[in-house]
Amino acid sequence: MIDLSVDHVSKRYRVRQTADANRGRRTLRQKFEALRGRSDEFWALRDVSFDVARGETLGIIGHNGAGKSTILKVLSSVTAPTSGEITIRGRLSALIEVGSGFHPELTGRENIYLSGPILGMRRREIANKLERIIDFAGVRDFIDTPVKHYSSGMYVRLGFSIAAHLEPDILLLDEVLAVGDAAFQVKCLDRVNELHRQGRTIVFISHDLGAVERMCGRVLLMKRGQVVADGHPRDVIAKYQEVSSGYVPSEPHSLAQAILSHEVEITSVTCHDVDGREAAVFRTGAAARVRVSYVTHQPVPDAIIEVYVYSLLEKLYGAWCQLTTASRNGEGIDLKPGPGAVEFEVEELSFLPGMYYVSATIVHREQPLGTAIDWQSQCLTLRVDPGRFIRGTFYMPHHWQSLPVPPPEEARPPASESFTS
Amino acid sequence: MPQTASLIDDTERPKPGYQVRPALHVAAQATIPGEPSVTESRPATVIRAPSFSPLTLARGVVLLVQYRDLLYTLSMHRLKVRYKQSVLGPSWAVLQPLSLMLIYTVVFSRIARVPSEGTPYALFAYCALLPWTYFSTALSTATHSLVSHFSLVTKVYFPREILPLTYVIASLVDFVVASTVLVGLLLYYDVSLTVRAFYAIPTIAVLTLFTVAVSLVLSAIQVRYRDIGVAMPLVLQLWMFATPVVYPLSVVPESWRTLYLLNPMVGIIESFRRVILQGEPPDFQALAMSAIVSMILLPLAYIYFKHMEATVADII
Repeated sequence: MIDLSVDHVSKRYRVRQTADANRGRRTLRQKFEALRGRSDEFWALRDVSFDVARGETLGIIGHNGAGKSTILKVLSSVTAPTSGEITIRGRLSALIEVGSGFHPELTGRENIYLSGPILGMRRREIANKLERIIDFAGVRDFIDTPVKHYSSGMYVRLGFSIAAHLEPDILLLDEVLAVGDAAFQVKCLDRVNELHRQGRTIVFISHDLGAVERMCGRVLLMKRGQVVADGHPRDVIAKYQEVSSGYVPSEPHSLAQAILSHEVEITSVTCHDVDGREAAVFRTGAAARVRVSYVTHQPVPDAIIEVYVYSLLEKLYGAWCQLTTASRNGEGIDLKPGPGAVEFEVEELSFLPGMYYVSATIVHREQPLGTAIDWQSQCLTLRVDPGRFIRGTFYMPHHWQSLPVPPPEEARPPASESFTS
Repeated sequence: MPQTASLIDDTERPKPGYQVRPALHVAAQATIPGEPSVTESRPATVIRAPSFSPLTLARGVVLLVQYRDLLYTLSMHRLKVRYKQSVLGPSWAVLQPLSLMLIYTVVFSRIARVPSEGTPYALFAYCALLPWTYFSTALSTATHSLVSHFSLVTKVYFPREILPLTYVIASLVDFVVASTVLVGLLLYYDVSLTVRAFYAIPTIAVLTLFTVAVSLVLSAIQVRYRDIGVAMPLVLQLWMFATPVVYPLSVVPESWRTLYLLNPMVGIIESFRRVILQGEPPDFQALAMSAIVSMILLPLAYIYFKHMEATVADII
């Protein structure tokens, strides 16, 4: 059963040239022509075709500008395709935050009644779900307060909660999970989970390869408005990473706010595989080494060298972990002038597949937050590929053993005796 | 038991690890009790490139009916918030035509001596200002409706005509509220209504059709050419003087009449005043002209609006 069928869909945008050098000298006719916007064409989607079966979770990945968001807009009818045809079976809605439709003078409750119908909810439906929406947003105490007095977090949560209580047959998700705090995101993911378990069709558009890998049964890769790969998540994600190799997510930059004293400077941060070769791609569960090289200008008797690893969607999961040279009771190491290096050895990499940033820092023991000797933010990008299959949010290295089968009950001496002896 | 959960997960899902994070929260149950199960037969929606066709019209109306809750909610919302954080609140609906009436009474009755066909000028003017204010308020607010809701328009789909329509509906409600003052004036000047006053209802119906048509066109054009919104106050001012609001139709020279009657507002305003104040039947010829213009304009306006709607989110 096909729920969503996209058939040779193309979308052209006409880009207006607003920054014109001789703007002031144009005739009225030219101005008119400029506003008619015939100047530039841009094809956001070119002949895109795919089907989504009922109950399927389809991921769409691709770089910025690949056409992912345009797909969403066309699917949700916000804008019409230039050519092609889309057939949708059932109710389709996007999980979006509708706080922008709120009226600041109205209370939270009134705004729910206002925004619900915008998303296609019936008034009766809203009345039935009102309590759940309020609880989901966590704004019960303020529900009869005008939303202009809300914090921005409350505003967004309430806006999102309304959309989260739609019961679409087909759900569109666009990185929306980056809304609100961690606890709220968990709620949202739970909700998506629930919809998935009910057999609803989900189209998930994301940059987070790890999440796509975990959530989706099938993935499309888009590039310049075209579908360039369609298939099993692992294969398509591998292809995407091939395409994007050499892609540096963001320029290395120093933490602007940190006050650095520069007695020691970090010269390089590298990752190495088990054989000591420099590497940027690892598999979950594999061994890895992180090497931090530095030059000491002035001796530091109590230095602590630390490496932080952030998820690419760090904001989303708040997930980061730390490798440190500090001993169990926090003692630092003594750095003598001259070059030096430390290597951290990780026996089994515990990250789920995805992209990660590595930052490195050297601090004095008990140095106040926001100050450091040196800090290299996001100086390395790590890619973790699916390796050892794990469930959960991270892999916990562990040992296990079979226990000897205890002897039959009657053969053992009574328990009380063993204690009294 | 967590093991049980994973086992059930595996049988349900095509591949291992096919689950939404956080996995810790994935329950073992396959369906949520109490939630409706996904039905088998569902209506199919087809999205195509925009094209002119009579079907556009029919489909648009069907969709609009489906979204009637939104139309209702947003219209109520307009009324509710229009006078929020204002001291006089909804009495503004009355104060606007009332104050205009006072000004025009002073200017055109005391200073300029414009004839008012035997009725007190205040009543004469108010009776025309009432439908005129409905028209001009609806138009000037509806024109901006798409642009001022751009954050919604670029995010969510709903029939966009709902936005201008809600402003027309809100203005219509204001019209009804302000009509109470007309009743007061009629009592004060001791003018009694005749049964012909019922002609006011079809007259207002024609006015509403015309207002909707013009609102649809202007709000759609405003998205691309913001000049419309800037020009609106001036255009409405000129339009009012080209309509028998502050003077009677009878003072318009005969030679101008044909051209003058092309303005659909002429038949509407003149008829409204005539059936209320004079107790005469409406100027059928003029009113029919307005009705015909409105009936032709409305479907065209709607088709044009629907055509623009398809790409409005790209331009706005």
